[in-house]
Amino acid sequence: MKQHRWLKIILLCLLTMGLAGCWDKQELNEKAFVIGIGLDKDEEEGKVKVTYLITNPEAGAQQAGGTTKEPPQEIISLVADDFISSRDTANAIVAKSISYNLLSVLIVSEDLARDPNFIRLIYSAAKDREIKRSLKIIVTKEKAEAFINNNKPKLETRPDNYFGLIINRGQKIGMIPDANLKSFFTDTEGDADFFLAIYATTDKEQRDKENTSDDNLIAGEIKEEGTSNNTEMIGSAVFSQGQMIGKMTGEETRISSLLDDTWNAVDILTAYPDPFDERYRLTVRMSKQKNNTYKLTNDYGRPHFEITVPLYIEVLSDPSMVNYAGNKQKVVKLKQYLTDNIEKKMQQFIEKTQKEFKGDTFHLSVPFRKHFATLGEFRDFDWMKTYPDAEVNVKVEIHFGEFGRQTKLPKLKEVRD
Amino acid sequence: MKQNKGTIGIKEYIALVILTVGAKLSDDTPAILFENAKNAGWIAVALIGLLSVLPILFMLKVFSVHREKNLHEIILHLFGKFIGNIVSVLLLFGGVFALIVDSGISTDIISSFYFTKTPPIIVYSILMMVCAYGAKRGFEHIGTAAWLLLPYVKITLFIVLLFSFGGGTFGFIYPLWGEGMLPIIKTVAKDMSIYADFLYIGLVAPLVTSFKVLKKGTIWALAIVTFEICIAMVAFVMLFDYTTAEMLAYPFHETIRYIHIGFLSNVETFFFPFWLVATFIRFSFYLYLSATLLGGILKIKEFEYLIPLLTTIVILLGAAPESPSITLSAARKMNFQLLTPAFFVLPPLMWILAKIRGDFKNETA
Repeated sequence: MKQHRWLKIILLCLLTMGLAGCWDKQELNEKAFVIGIGLDKDEEEGKVKVTYLITNPEAGAQQAGGTTKEPPQEIISLVADDFISSRDTANAIVAKSISYNLLSVLIVSEDLARDPNFIRLIYSAAKDREIKRSLKIIVTKEKAEAFINNNKPKLETRPDNYFGLIINRGQKIGMIPDANLKSFFTDTEGDADFFLAIYATTDKEQRDKENTSDDNLIAGEIKEEGTSNNTEMIGSAVFSQGQMIGKMTGEETRISSLLDDTWNAVDILTAYPDPFDERYRLTVRMSKQKNNTYKLTNDYGRPHFEITVPLYIEVLSDPSMVNYAGNKQKVVKLKQYLTDNIEKKMQQFIEKTQKEFKGDTFHLSVPFRKHFATLGEFRDFDWMKTYPDAEVNVKVEIHFGEFGRQTKLPKLKEVRD
Repeated sequence: MKQNKGTIGIKEYIALVILTVGAKLSDDTPAILFENAKNAGWIAVALIGLLSVLPILFMLKVFSVHREKNLHEIILHLFGKFIGNIVSVLLLFGGVFALIVDSGISTDIISSFYFTKTPPIIVYSILMMVCAYGAKRGFEHIGTAAWLLLPYVKITLFIVLLFSFGGGTFGFIYPLWGEGMLPIIKTVAKDMSIYADFLYIGLVAPLVTSFKVLKKGTIWALAIVTFEICIAMVAFVMLFDYTTAEMLAYPFHETIRYIHIGFLSNVETFFFPFWLVATFIRFSFYLYLSATLLGGILKIKEFEYLIPLLTTIVILLGAAPESPSITLSAARKMNFQLLTPAFFVLPPLMWILAKIRGDFKNETA
């Protein structure tokens, strides 16, 4: 009996050694956490320029004896065969072992994204053991290397913090698409709809022309002043079959988001010309509280899609001082006006996708899959070929919410009296 | 002193079956089912579940008149000594093969997703040694552990499914029939043996407190497991669409790497331990079943001592193949196809033989 007890104790002690985690044990400060990978074309064919954005977890952390003086991030660029093998090459410069565990953004230059070979490169992400499918994809106007170097967030100094926040916020307001590696693979392999990636730049374009709307812009076009970061993330890059074919402005991205049911409802602040006074613009807040309805009919062999988009709209400003609260007629007029306006914009957008992109960016094929019994039938329908010639009609149904916090305004005439 | 006989009650029995069979949704079984049935994989599972009722009912019928015998003893009784032993040896080969391949795949999952730098042989050895210890403790202990751990394993699974439904697109499950009826039927015919475990469970039938418990437990477990795997298959398709889901070797693990819970990302490290625990139970049970069968064939009363031997064989053979995710997956498909006829034909055959021998005549109920 006694012998047995000793045996058990020895066994227990031996088992605790397993707690060390065997070979995979690695101290946190032995790892260099890559937050973003930038990919650029290299002159030599088959090579790619990889830029690592490495975060410094210590930066900004309060420590005993004051904060560290280390910078929040470190950037390294090198030429490699792909972004898997570059990991070891980078270790010639970086002292710690390169880890993709916290990798959250893949930054690709537009030049490379438009290259037909881009797809070969990105599929190595499906092979790597550390890369997750929730990785966000950003396409930059300039070189990815330049983007990463120029991107200097002022308040969110740690890059992991910055990218997480700005992408999350941008998606909520519909200015940038929900673009992760999983949807890139799904859309590319699904061979029916286009994939949208986030479009960003630090390269300011000089534009003097006044814009018609605040959100009809693409990255680089916002006229901002002040001391903030140079980076702009607005609009999207359109990918067809794993290759970039075009780009969309922030407004188009928003329309795409409203037409898309796979995209979670967004909260959009935008402005329309005031129907009662042409000089001013009316600020509205739009959201989708119900799903769209989709209908498919056949017009003599030509498919006819009908999309009904229910919108919940709150009118937040009243520059012509119409006082919607007490004026039912004007509300009806406003509703009609907004419906026409939004429908027109959506119709224009759809026309653009049919003529310019030759494919849809809002996962239109997904709700219509119901109409097919088998995948064979669905493939024979050949969505990519059918969509550009199909007739697509959009109907908007507006439900008004509040008219601002204070619904009544003083009569302009009386104030000026 | 009922406990010491090593029998288990209904809750332990159901827990054990749910953990062992249900764990299949987290290895490469979904990938195998998606291969032909595509996004209609869940329909295939539902059909497999429905069809499995037949052999299981036949088997239960036979067991109802041989309550003191286990599967091996019944086979010996029905087929005679010579043929009976051959049948049992074939079953043993199928079972041990499944054990080797399944544990090899689990090792591949652990070493390719979680412990990438640890040599797979070490992972394999530790996994199997823990399972051997579990199996050595006996059936009653495995059952109790299964019942204790069931809530944790299933609650975490529920969370995973909930978040994958939340992040998925319902439209992806259409077109409803996938590639069509024929591929679904083909999948059912080929891979029905994902439930062959139910046949092997017959080996421990006398260890369940009563026949009523066995009958009720088996039917309930079958229903729950089918439902669970169906839902998981739907969740995978909703998250990845059929084209990608089909290409993923281990959809469950890709799912837990993809989803994030609120502000928490990298949640796979939270789900992994629960999956691991379920895996331990599963292979402990498989080892125990294999040892029972081997002990029966070789007429060894204290078959528990065969467990270390079996473990060693499993580790040696399971760690041997090159590029395990490809080789083992192919081996698994083959094993599925070989076990399917055994699972579907053997129970009715046993029933017919029992009928001919007149075993049902002195049935009381």
